[in-house]
Amino acid sequence: MTTTVDTTASTTRGRVRLHGLTGTVLRVHRPALLVWCAYVVGTVGWMLWVHYVSGARARAAQDTCRGQDGSCIDFDMFAFGEGMSMVGTFVAYASYAVAAWAGASLTGRELEHGTAHLAWTQSVTPTRWLTVKLAVPAVALTVGTTVLMLVYRWIWSANEEVRSDDWYYSDPFVNRGPAVVAYALCALAVGALAGLALKRALPALGTAVAFIVCLHLYLDERSITLWPTKTLTGTAASRLPMSANQLELGAVTGSGARINDLTCFDVDADADYARCMADNGFTDLYAEVHPQSHFWPLHLMTTGVILAVTALLVLASFHLLRRRTGGTS
Amino acid sequence: MTDTAIETAALGKRFGWRQGGWALRDCTLRLPVGRVCAVVGPNGAGKSTLLAHAAGLLAPTEGGISVLGTTPSAARERMAYVAQDKPLYPQLTVAETLRMGAELNPRRWDAAVAGRIVEEGGLDLGSKIRSLSGGQRTRVALALALGKRPELLLLDEPMADLDPLARHQLMGTLLADSADHGTTVVMSSHVVAELEGSCDHLFLLGGGRVRLAGPLDALIAAHTLVTGPTGDLAPHTVVESRTTGRQITALIRPEGRIAAGWRTAEPTLEELVLAHLRAPGAPALTLTDEGDAHDEGDGGTNSGNNDGETNGTRTRGASV
Repeated sequence: MTTTVDTTASTTRGRVRLHGLTGTVLRVHRPALLVWCAYVVGTVGWMLWVHYVSGARARAAQDTCRGQDGSCIDFDMFAFGEGMSMVGTFVAYASYAVAAWAGASLTGRELEHGTAHLAWTQSVTPTRWLTVKLAVPAVALTVGTTVLMLVYRWIWSANEEVRSDDWYYSDPFVNRGPAVVAYALCALAVGALAGLALKRALPALGTAVAFIVCLHLYLDERSITLWPTKTLTGTAASRLPMSANQLELGAVTGSGARINDLTCFDVDADADYARCMADNGFTDLYAEVHPQSHFWPLHLMTTGVILAVTALLVLASFHLLRRRTGGTS
Repeated sequence: MTDTAIETAALGKRFGWRQGGWALRDCTLRLPVGRVCAVVGPNGAGKSTLLAHAAGLLAPTEGGISVLGTTPSAARERMAYVAQDKPLYPQLTVAETLRMGAELNPRRWDAAVAGRIVEEGGLDLGSKIRSLSGGQRTRVALALALGKRPELLLLDEPMADLDPLARHQLMGTLLADSADHGTTVVMSSHVVAELEGSCDHLFLLGGGRVRLAGPLDALIAAHTLVTGPTGDLAPHTVVESRTTGRQITALIRPEGRIAAGWRTAEPTLEELVLAHLRAPGAPALTLTDEGDAHDEGDGGTNSGNNDGETNGTRTRGASV
């Protein structure tokens, strides 16, 4: 038996086929690829404009403000903050469009119109077909969202003084790390699965978008619980830095109970603070917060959750495809 | 190398979880290589389901199927399949579609054959698939299938969209090509006339079950059309009989000599098919190449035994 020879031949063959299938997938989804490239280039351009044009005006306005003893309102700074928020939203919600496309076009329409069957009856197994159908857009999405993430991170830190969003705001929280990439990949996976399961473009589009919207909203709410909060007490609790994400504030009574009472939080002088505490019968103040240093642990935990969901969706897709076609290879 | 193109054993497929939702049930068939086989039956008979199983697109609910001596998925590279609605990517051009065929079948692709079929239809290589008529799309789909140089060609209602001239011409190309290369062709149709003269093997399906299977000439030889005065046709198996006044016309499977007094004739393919479709209770018949008949069902209709039970459609020849 020439087992060794056979193995080599099939490996070479596999590579050749993969190459051919990659080319075909790219040609079939060329419009989508062009739209994605246009989106990435356009959004990068927009961010550069926000930084170089709008940002420059805001920074100049802030310098003027400083000269006028601080307290002034400038519309250029508002305009910049708004531009920054909008472009952030545009980046953070791209995954919704990816889910819509993946559900409708990547797999749903192929099964609805039977073109998937066309591919599966060439010399390409359904498993290989799905692998390439996922891998090709995954590469495009990873590259695109990584570029957007890096540019966003740069304009975020370059305009620290003039931006109005905080690190824990929903969009900047997602956009400043790999979570934005993970969301795009998750959207791709859920779209592919919905298309395979429902075999119809429109229902798959709806299901995939609904899923990614729910996941996004859920993690928006719950990502703060993915890392333990920091508990501050005493004046450390009442004099929190501006950058901290305050989750719960209050006072501790003589019985040790925490109550939601902020009476002594705006007392500045130490003597006034002691008097306020004594007058109200408080033994301490407390604050449950995520300091800015919790950004990465929170962000990476969120990314991990999204990637775990993505992995499950991909496994489910392959399982479903194998079960339906009875294919083993 | 096997001499069997398709072999199924008690193949069954149920869609969904509905009771009785069987598209195909207890289907046992064998098709030798090199045949041109017609899969005939009314709409919903299970023709497309059978072809899709052979093409490795569906997993059976029960039973099994082997293609070219192996599993359908292992035989993928050696067979071609054209689905009923001729799916193609509408956004690609004809040339891009053929290029896809070359790229997805790198070890088998015969560009000359595919190009010739497209050329014969006068198609512009640069036109998008979405701009083509139904018949032109059929032509491209067939070009893609034949360009793969398959050992087994599965065609689901291949000619439905074609005008008579194109149908004749394309069928000619198809059969000449398959004869040259010894390709086994399986094509389904509900139009019997479409298949007459081009097929040498027949699978007749009805209600998801096999009604007739075997070489066409043997199937026809196993049946006789008899006309005579009303009377008992025992011991012959009566497939269908119609009485007009004192005259009875019946399609029978003779068991021994036919009594004098009956006028006999050889049925046409169409008569054979229609009689079986009109009489769903008639016992199934599976013939193998050796020509040994396996009349199924206990006694058939003439013994008064209602043939509701159709679990006996196994090909004994194939199960040896």
